[in-house]
Amino acid sequence: MSRMYKQNWKRKDSIEKLFAVFRSSTDFIQYDVNTSHIKYWISYFETLVDVNILNENILKPIHSKYWQSLEELKNILPVKDIFLTIDTDLMKEKLLEGFVMISLSEYGSPCLLVNAKLNKAREVTLPEVEFTVIGPKEAFVESIESNINLIRKRLPIEELRIRTLKIGRLTQTRLAIIYIEGIADEENVFTVWQRISNIQIDQVNDSSYITEMISDNHNSPFPQLLDTERPDRVVSILAEGKIAVIVDGSPHVLIGPTTLVEFFASFEDYFLNWILSSFFRIIRLFAVSFSILATPIYVAVLNYHYELIPTDLLNNFVTSRREVPVPPFLEALFLEGTIELLREAGARLPTKVGQTIGIVGGIVIGTASVEAGLTSNILLIIVALAALASFTTPVYKMGNTIRLLRFPFLMFAEMYGLLGIVLCFCFLATHLLRLTSLGRPFLEPIYPPRITDLKDAFLRMPFSMMNERPKQLRTEQPKRMDEEKSRENKDIDE
Amino acid sequence: MAQIAERHKVSAPLVFYLVHSTQFGIGVLGFQKNVVKYAGHDSWISVILIGLIVHLYIWMIYQILKRSSGSLMTLQHDLFGKWVGNGLNIVWIIYFFLGSCAILIGYIEILKVWMFEDLNIWIYTAIFMGLLYYIFNGGFRVVTGFAFFGVVLPLWIFLTFLIFPTRFADLQHLLPIMDHSPQEIFMGTMQMVITVIGFETLFLYYPFVKNIDKSQKWAHIGNLFTTCSYIIIMIVSIVYYSAEEEILRNKWATLAMWKIVELPFVERFEYIGIASWSLVILPNICVMLWSAKRGITEIFGITEKKVIISVLVVMFFIVNVIVDKEDIQLLNKIINMYALGIVFCYIPVLYLITFVRDLWKRRT
Repeated sequence: MSRMYKQNWKRKDSIEKLFAVFRSSTDFIQYDVNTSHIKYWISYFETLVDVNILNENILKPIHSKYWQSLEELKNILPVKDIFLTIDTDLMKEKLLEGFVMISLSEYGSPCLLVNAKLNKAREVTLPEVEFTVIGPKEAFVESIESNINLIRKRLPIEELRIRTLKIGRLTQTRLAIIYIEGIADEENVFTVWQRISNIQIDQVNDSSYITEMISDNHNSPFPQLLDTERPDRVVSILAEGKIAVIVDGSPHVLIGPTTLVEFFASFEDYFLNWILSSFFRIIRLFAVSFSILATPIYVAVLNYHYELIPTDLLNNFVTSRREVPVPPFLEALFLEGTIELLREAGARLPTKVGQTIGIVGGIVIGTASVEAGLTSNILLIIVALAALASFTTPVYKMGNTIRLLRFPFLMFAEMYGLLGIVLCFCFLATHLLRLTSLGRPFLEPIYPPRITDLKDAFLRMPFSMMNERPKQLRTEQPKRMDEEKSRENKDIDE
Repeated sequence: MAQIAERHKVSAPLVFYLVHSTQFGIGVLGFQKNVVKYAGHDSWISVILIGLIVHLYIWMIYQILKRSSGSLMTLQHDLFGKWVGNGLNIVWIIYFFLGSCAILIGYIEILKVWMFEDLNIWIYTAIFMGLLYYIFNGGFRVVTGFAFFGVVLPLWIFLTFLIFPTRFADLQHLLPIMDHSPQEIFMGTMQMVITVIGFETLFLYYPFVKNIDKSQKWAHIGNLFTTCSYIIIMIVSIVYYSAEEEILRNKWATLAMWKIVELPFVERFEYIGIASWSLVILPNICVMLWSAKRGITEIFGITEKKVIISVLVVMFFIVNVIVDKEDIQLLNKIINMYALGIVFCYIPVLYLITFVRDLWKRRT
């Protein structure tokens, strides 16, 4: 008896403490009400509660219907999430999520917790970062419920698994790991789960925090997890056997394990005919190599190997550089720096001002610096083209990496010319060979070479040929569909 | 010996790249001179001959290793006991180490002659050692990755051998076939030894291959590919150069062939060729040096990181000391003799020993 009393007393004390803490915030509301048949206390955070739900679904039935105990009340209220509890930790958690708490005495328990969450989420809008001309026009928003809804809608199957957990000591961010059971490799799921649960951080404000915390190599400029704002892309990737991570408050969903070539594939490639999209992929690949190598090659050739250029072409180079007083390296560095400056300024400004910056920078500074004899116009063309090419990368984060890469290449080109470029390439290749994404090789299907995975790498082969899931993922169901049915060969005139 | 974890192993088809990339390296740029000296316009027969011999040796290596519990190091230790076995192991390690040094030295020599007269070797090798350190820290998978890149990426250069020099080719140079005596052709074959060695690193990376039984096919295909490449380059050189004397005068006959490559936007193609050649020699050096490093770790049981650093430091100094033309020639001669002894004479002996031991074991 005394033990029970003690427990009761302890609990009472902690409810009092809980309220004392909460009352120090002005948006915490608590009052008592005398209805015709009973007296009750009600407490909630007015900033977290939807007033409509509170009035219509909670207060109205309380006052209009007859009830004697909280159990009876629980059956009366037309609200989905409702439970009785004596656990003060749960009370604290739920009150902070936007529940309304009803009790029969001021510090009495048990208490009834009724869901009256205020859901304020942005409407589902057009994808802005990964816009495609054709194809679905939905993009993720900041609310995790709405994002999961967008995925579930497109994958109405029982095998879709969603596991949620909370990360961040202060922000208490909800996070969901999504995969398809029977396709995704259990080991991959376990890796993701384990790495996420090992995270020690106080705040998670975006999925990028999670990317950085769970990627294999923190010291790499390459993003090792793909992020997307397109539900269709997530669904297609889940069907391949990958794992998606949704973070509440972030419109970008993380996808892993991923490979380097995936970062150069736009999702629009799957909406176009395979011949066209293969062509575009090759163009993009060319653009990326051009964007990294163009200025370094210019520096290397003009510094060390001008014999490489045929005489007719060399004339143009010499004429354009005749009045430039600085060596090619400084000239290139100056122009590359200007372009980066323009990009950074444009990114920080509102769209309309940003356009002006582009015009001012591109036309005025460019022509003026050539006329002033600070740069050669050939280099100006090369740098502008390289900058243009770097924007063809479909994934924003990879575009940034590409732009950074040309600076070490420039330095090596200045030191050893073409030899330096090859040497720098070797360093880059080593780095990429060593990288892994969730423990799977990042450079696959190039190395380790896997021919089946190459069908969706540099080229996009027709869907009927992509009848196997990527080998890299070690999926539990390697076949996508029946091979014979997908390829029905008919003879001519049959 | 500790079992190699599955995640450090490479799949069987990659043995193709490992074998081919170790055989195909710095020698390609100037192997013609020494062979033509003896076999003249029949040199391509010498090349075929060495290809067949290497096939036999790859087969022997597989037979030897199938009867062992791991790599060559453990095998020699088991066969000859601690002192003799490890002594032989060290001989092999020095061979691998000197081999990789010679490749880098040869490449730097070419760089100095063809591209940068005043190349600062100290700085260049320091950067190169940094690269090697970065590669070795990634483990054998990264080394194999470079073997793969070193074969695939420079493949396009091969086209330049085929397209441009053949315009000036005169097939008459090949005739009459078998004009030289078997002795002369055989002497030419002996000169090819230093060019085709490298496949014997198989002795060390053998435990690192998954499904080792399936890999033998790929090793042979790798050697076949090497032999074909050498034959093509040899034939092209014979038909391109108007006289044998011209090949004999050129220390780097292949490099000189690049001089006639002419594209609308590029002249003096050899600059691009030599720079790209670092991709070809890098796996060469990597696999050789990796084998030396692996051997040291296996014998002495020192942690790999320490071995990597000490090996790289020693290599750094050796490369910087041997810069004279005479020294380089001496080093190449030593390695040629070394390879003849250790690869071409010792491997059959080892094969016989293991074969007899196996028979003996079966009988008892």
